[in-house]
Amino acid sequence: MENRTRIGMSADAVEKRQSIVDKPEKKIDKNQIMVDVNDVSVMFNLSKNHEEGVKEYFINRIKGRVGYDEFWALRNISFQVKKGDSLALIGRNGSGKSTLLKTVAGIITPARGKIQVNGSIAPLIEISGGFDRMLSARENVFLAGTMHGHTRKYMKKKFDEIIEFAELEKFVDVPLKNYSSGMISRLGFAIATCVNADIVIADEVLAVGDARFRLKCEKRINEILSGGTTFLLVSHSASTVKKICKKALWLEKGKVMAYGNAVEITDQYTNYVKKLPTRKTFSAVKTREPR
Amino acid sequence: MKSKIYEFMEFFPFLKEIIKRDFKKKYYKSILGVAWSMLSPLLMMAVVTIVFSTVFKRDIPFYPAYWYSGNLFMTVVFDGSSMAMGSMIHNAGLIKKMKIPKYFFVVSTVTQSFITAVFSLVPYFLLCLVLGVPMTINLLAVPLVIILCYLFTFGLGLVMCAYGTFLRDLDHLYKVLRRVFLYITPIFYPIEIVPDQFRFLFEFNPIYIFIQLFRDVTLNGVMPSERLLFIATSYSLLTLALGIVVFREKQDRFFLYI
Repeated sequence: MENRTRIGMSADAVEKRQSIVDKPEKKIDKNQIMVDVNDVSVMFNLSKNHEEGVKEYFINRIKGRVGYDEFWALRNISFQVKKGDSLALIGRNGSGKSTLLKTVAGIITPARGKIQVNGSIAPLIEISGGFDRMLSARENVFLAGTMHGHTRKYMKKKFDEIIEFAELEKFVDVPLKNYSSGMISRLGFAIATCVNADIVIADEVLAVGDARFRLKCEKRINEILSGGTTFLLVSHSASTVKKICKKALWLEKGKVMAYGNAVEITDQYTNYVKKLPTRKTFSAVKTREPR
Repeated sequence: MKSKIYEFMEFFPFLKEIIKRDFKKKYYKSILGVAWSMLSPLLMMAVVTIVFSTVFKRDIPFYPAYWYSGNLFMTVVFDGSSMAMGSMIHNAGLIKKMKIPKYFFVVSTVTQSFITAVFSLVPYFLLCLVLGVPMTINLLAVPLVIILCYLFTFGLGLVMCAYGTFLRDLDHLYKVLRRVFLYITPIFYPIEIVPDQFRFLFEFNPIYIFIQLFRDVTLNGVMPSERLLFIATSYSLLTLALGIVVFREKQDRFFLYI
């Protein structure tokens, strides 16, 4: 029941990939399909209380799991991303953007459909993506690097570059729990973009750093894009999407609303959001008469 | 199968990193650090010896070492598998954000408990020397017993992890079970106090089999019996196979529960 296949990810291929990618004069085949998402649907069980007990468990067993509400986070999603492309996922909160990224990254197994990914992925899901807050930056670089399937030796070579880009030279041996959120996101971004993955996946990571660092990130993204890396981004910032991405995929309640040129789709989406009726909230705050 | 091996090879450096990390975190900011894995069983042994040695003195030679060996396997099996049970929950941050083989965290926690066990073997053999236990060539079988026990604990850890991730109550139930096993396994009493006709029941207890094998080669100085070795190997391989089957079936749904 393997819904997802990784091609060319043998141990030899990993070594080969690392040696190839280090040379920038490699030919880029712009028509090679890197991510192929074919009719993918993802389902969650909406159980009201996560702390399931023995009693509920057996009741559900007897009832044949009627107790669950099925919730389709993604329905029949299909799209393709070619080599060197940059795709932005846009949509409102809860529209399934992060779920789609996690499905592409292989963290979530889709209930239906097939995802084919040709190459290695550096997922950067949420700012603290895969860091251990008890460990120092140095240890986390090796932890995250090996998690991406690199050897310790390879990470040693890249270590200085990563720390330099993240501007954390002074704090290399400080545990991450003492870092600010900006520092952590800088480290995460530096690792994901320095390890030469074929596909970089970023979820809301650009939102944290300050303006200067964001410029640096955008420059870096353009660099890796021209090097043939494929980039998938979730962002709520229309300007970032327009600046970085060529294509955009607009999701709404788990379905694809539109797919195409980033500028056009982003404008469509912005207009759509403006037209949405805003609910009157906060009216529930009552002022109590003093006795 | 082949892709699983490639996957293992690809992520092997990561496995080394998390084993290192877990080891470091276990003794985070403790002054004695790893010395605790030797000190704590020795302290317990002192207490148990004072309490029980008068009761079982005539029946059991080298009583402190007898208790120590029993406790060693009890601790390693239950610590390893109960830590494995929580390994998905403790590493939820990584599992939810990265594609990594999930069983690695079980390997790491089980290995952790065995690293502790190997450290606590040092005071055990020193103890044997002090007590004057004759050292024989049979000691060479010790690694075999440890490896069999490792496979068993890993299999058990996979099963406990697969169910424990969905059903958190299992953790509490397992603590009760641990206490039960503490009494039904001849750790502080000799098996001779059990009537002959019931003794076969103890062979259904895998932990007792490992303890008996270990005591045979270290304390009694005899070759491990083929019968016991066969039982131990069967327990290990069957548990491991069961663990792999259960874990593979359940692992895709973990992310919904962590």
